[in-house]
Amino acid sequence: MAEHLILKNGVVFDPMNGIDGEVMDICISDGKIVEKAPANAKAVDLKGNAVMAGGVDPHSHIIGSKLNVARVTSPEVNRHHPYPATSKTRSGVAGIIPSSFATGFLYSAMGYTTVVEPALPATKALGSWEEIEDIPGLDIGLLPLFCNSMITFKYVEEGDIGGLAAYIAWTLKKVGGLGVKVVNPGGTYAWAYGKNVCGLDDEVPEWDVTPRSIMTGIAQAVQDLGLPHQMHFHPTNLGRPGNVHTTMQQLDAIKSVKPSGKKKEVVHLTHMAFDCLGVVEEGMANWKDVASGGLIFADYYNKNKHFTTDLGQITFGQSMTMTGDGPFQHSLYLLTGGKAKWSNIPVDVELPGGAGIVPFTFEPKSPANAVQWVGSLEFALSIKDLWRLFLSTDHPNGGPFLKYPLLISWLMSKRQRDIWLEMVHKFAVERSTIANIEREYSLNDIAITTRAAPAKILGMDKTKGHLGVGADADVAVYGFNPEKTDLGKNPDLILKHFAQAQFTFKGGVQVSKNGIVAKQIHSRVHTTHPKLNEALSARIDRELEEMMSKWFSHSFSNYPVPARYREHLEIPRVIDSTSVQA
Amino acid sequence: MTEVGNTFKDIVCTFCGCLCDDIIIEVDGEKIVKNTNGCAISKERFVGHMENRCLQPTVKGNPVTLEKAIQRAVEIIASSKRLLIYGLSSTENDAQREAYRLAEITGSVVDNTTSVCHGPTILGAQESGETTAALAEVRHRADLVIYWGANPAAAHPRHIPHYIRQPGEYIKDPKKDRQIWLVDVRETTTTRMVDRFLKINPATDLEVIQTLRALIRGTKLDVTEVGGIDIKELEEIATAMKTAKYGVLFFGLGLTQSWGRHRNIDAAIRLIQDLNAHTKWGLMPMRGHYNVSGANKTSTWVTGYPYAIDFARGYPRFSPGEYTAVDMLARGEPDAMLNIAADPVAHFPRAAVAHLASIPVINIDPKFNMTSQLAEVNIPAAIAGIECDGAATRMDGLPLYLKKVIDPPDGVIPDRDILRMMIKSLEKVMK
Ligand code: SF4
Ligand SMILES: [Zn+2]
Repeated sequence: MAEHLILKNGVVFDPMNGIDGEVMDICISDGKIVEKAPANAKAVDLKGNAVMAGGVDPHSHIIGSKLNVARVTSPEVNRHHPYPATSKTRSGVAGIIPSSFATGFLYSAMGYTTVVEPALPATKALGSWEEIEDIPGLDIGLLPLFCNSMITFKYVEEGDIGGLAAYIAWTLKKVGGLGVKVVNPGGTYAWAYGKNVCGLDDEVPEWDVTPRSIMTGIAQAVQDLGLPHQMHFHPTNLGRPGNVHTTMQQLDAIKSVKPSGKKKEVVHLTHMAFDCLGVVEEGMANWKDVASGGLIFADYYNKNKHFTTDLGQITFGQSMTMTGDGPFQHSLYLLTGGKAKWSNIPVDVELPGGAGIVPFTFEPKSPANAVQWVGSLEFALSIKDLWRLFLSTDHPNGGPFLKYPLLISWLMSKRQRDIWLEMVHKFAVERSTIANIEREYSLNDIAITTRAAPAKILGMDKTKGHLGVGADADVAVYGFNPEKTDLGKNPDLILKHFAQAQFTFKGGVQVSKNGIVAKQIHSRVHTTHPKLNEALSARIDRELEEMMSKWFSHSFSNYPVPARYREHLEIPRVIDSTSVQA
Repeated sequence: MTEVGNTFKDIVCTFCGCLCDDIIIEVDGEKIVKNTNGCAISKERFVGHMENRCLQPTVKGNPVTLEKAIQRAVEIIASSKRLLIYGLSSTENDAQREAYRLAEITGSVVDNTTSVCHGPTILGAQESGETTAALAEVRHRADLVIYWGANPAAAHPRHIPHYIRQPGEYIKDPKKDRQIWLVDVRETTTTRMVDRFLKINPATDLEVIQTLRALIRGTKLDVTEVGGIDIKELEEIATAMKTAKYGVLFFGLGLTQSWGRHRNIDAAIRLIQDLNAHTKWGLMPMRGHYNVSGANKTSTWVTGYPYAIDFARGYPRFSPGEYTAVDMLARGEPDAMLNIAADPVAHFPRAAVAHLASIPVINIDPKFNMTSQLAEVNIPAAIAGIECDGAATRMDGLPLYLKKVIDPPDGVIPDRDILRMMIKSLEKVMK
């Protein structure tokens, strides 16, 4: 079904291959970028419009029971956003938490082709695979949560990193995961006791583990296995003024982890906008005294190379906060005076305290929200190396992924920032250096932070995030000529063009044109299958059968996701982890 | 699948929302001969799977081929202006997903049995959120479990013995370390299984819950009793709830369908939320049909909404009370109905059934039921989890894979395949 194509006369931004705005042809055959297209290839004249690899989003909550609970409890956020069916595409709703089909189509319309769901309770993975059946047009990955699982605690308590690595390997294979997610290690477990953790060495009820031993243990296990994506990390103390310091402490703690050798980075700090709040000089750690932590954290980022990060930008307006950080969600509910609809979803053994959901509106006129908004922008505009950063809103936490064009406009256009600084609370200016920052991201910078860097961070850069020979033919064409368009001066054009790609090709198939999706194709799911040595493999089978039979309320043999839900979607990547010792 | 000769282990029971998955099924030739671990209902479901079976497609009571039955069903659907698709809670997820597709291409209404059971639970959650629970966590941690308006002994026979009255990691002795209470308006078979029974007056659930909320917040109330319970006792209950280490409230139709309905649930959710300021609590509806949770889930990811959905405008709209099956029928709105894996004639109020009797009904079900007697077209289906595979969702949201242990009767296919055949031929007709 994939065609042979030559995309002619596009102005190409392909930073992974050192191409910054060159007019060139892109040849596509059988879903791949090739040197030369076959003679019968169809030519498409792009007339000087901008061409990039398909967008890569490693952190967007688009799958799972938390989404469904949010949709069920808040139908009002979708009611006025219908997504009608066409003869070729299914219908749905397209508000801040779109339904499954609409999710795929909305991403395609923006030129995105790869999206990772970063919070999978592994024991519920079957449901996620079923949902993916109904999310079209994407390459998808799932990151199971290991941070508050009783099984993780058992291995960490015993200092058995080999056992922990084997548990991770077993789970990735049995349920089809791409990498490893950690959320508030120990804190969500403590939430089963109505408690939380904040310091690195705080106690976790019933277990001889600490946030430090859990986060370093898991990060090390990920490295020992040689997983392509480093530990994806949501730290403790989320959303607390002054937490930029505790976040840096946690990143410092993770420095002790030895990299596997393939990559320098051993941790990905996610949604830094929620993790890097400062306080004013001599201020207290409360919302009254909150200040941007952007500059402090940019300095730390420039000096420390063992981690990558993403923004988790807040975008104002209605959002839906949902994290595996149950106690944080409860504190957000209390912040609304107990008025908000608070949901909490415990998961057997793996998340005893429960993930939480609270609808939340970020107000431009709220001092706290304005400061949080400015902090991540100040950070993004103050760092040197963009290859360790990707753009995100932590959809739908900071706002829906539909707001990416707005985020891009803030980064690309000083004029746009000035317009917004007029609209938001004055603390944004008073408690940050944003007003003095002249820097504007170039299109090349945008191509790095929305394609190339996220693909590298995920360890998928062989086939994703670039347009070199051998890459998957995931291509986005934007309907403006970069040589003739001054986006910095015309932020409205940024909003217009990045909201609706002129063409999106997924695996060589044109799925959308001018933002209208006319083709519904199955998504694919990328998974990692670490191969363990025989001794460790036998040991983990035995130990997990014993623990899972004792702790879960369903049968051990019913834990894995059966092949029948996977084999037609899955692209497994086998990696050699036989060096991990039993 | 663990298969020893003709013995199947770790089979999921597809009857109630407990979805017990430790069932051992023995098959001898073409017969299921034994069910180990299942409750009496489960044994009946498996060993008796061939009883009362509809084996032959019929149109107006006359035996026809499957193709003919589908052809007639498609004629009815294609000529209908306002089709109602209903049921879906006693089948697996893929059949539900096909039903939404059918509703979308025909511009129909699709509703599941939630609208007559835990619909108010969903409306309550839309007011206040959902602070849920998970069954293994209840077993490991809960020192106080309260059933409210539920009769698990009859409707979910293994809920207490299999999930709750069991030792957990931190509850070593489930008799001593865990209290199980029951709140209901009358004694039931569950009364004998619990540690404490609280009989409240009918239609006072809301008052009792709100009183508990006030007491938990430390408000002194100038009354001597509420709902037939002495205020002293209510004070003691409030204190017990506040001082429990980990509490769980399971509620049934006695709370959702009694006076107050979704307001009862709204109040119960708020009660649990309030308690989380002091200790840890969660709540869980006792979902009846084995995959009604799955019906809400699939409906929500596909359409954005859990039930009561209209596709007349080419996109999903949600309006309980308007697009719910009983209300649609009582208004006389549908001019045809496609019923899948439910028995509306047995359960709907008279006015709704009267309208059903006046319109063409297509009925897909493994067994004869009251709806089949009234349906113009009857198409037999395989039983998911016995005669075909699939997926379903336990009452706490856990998805489980349903296995096939025996072939369906000759010529009988899964309902998802019947729906796919209908969709295929409708797409031709409607082009
Ligand atoms: S309790 Fe329910 S699911 Fe479990 S065996 Fe009995 S009928 Fe089946
Ligand atoms: Zn997130």
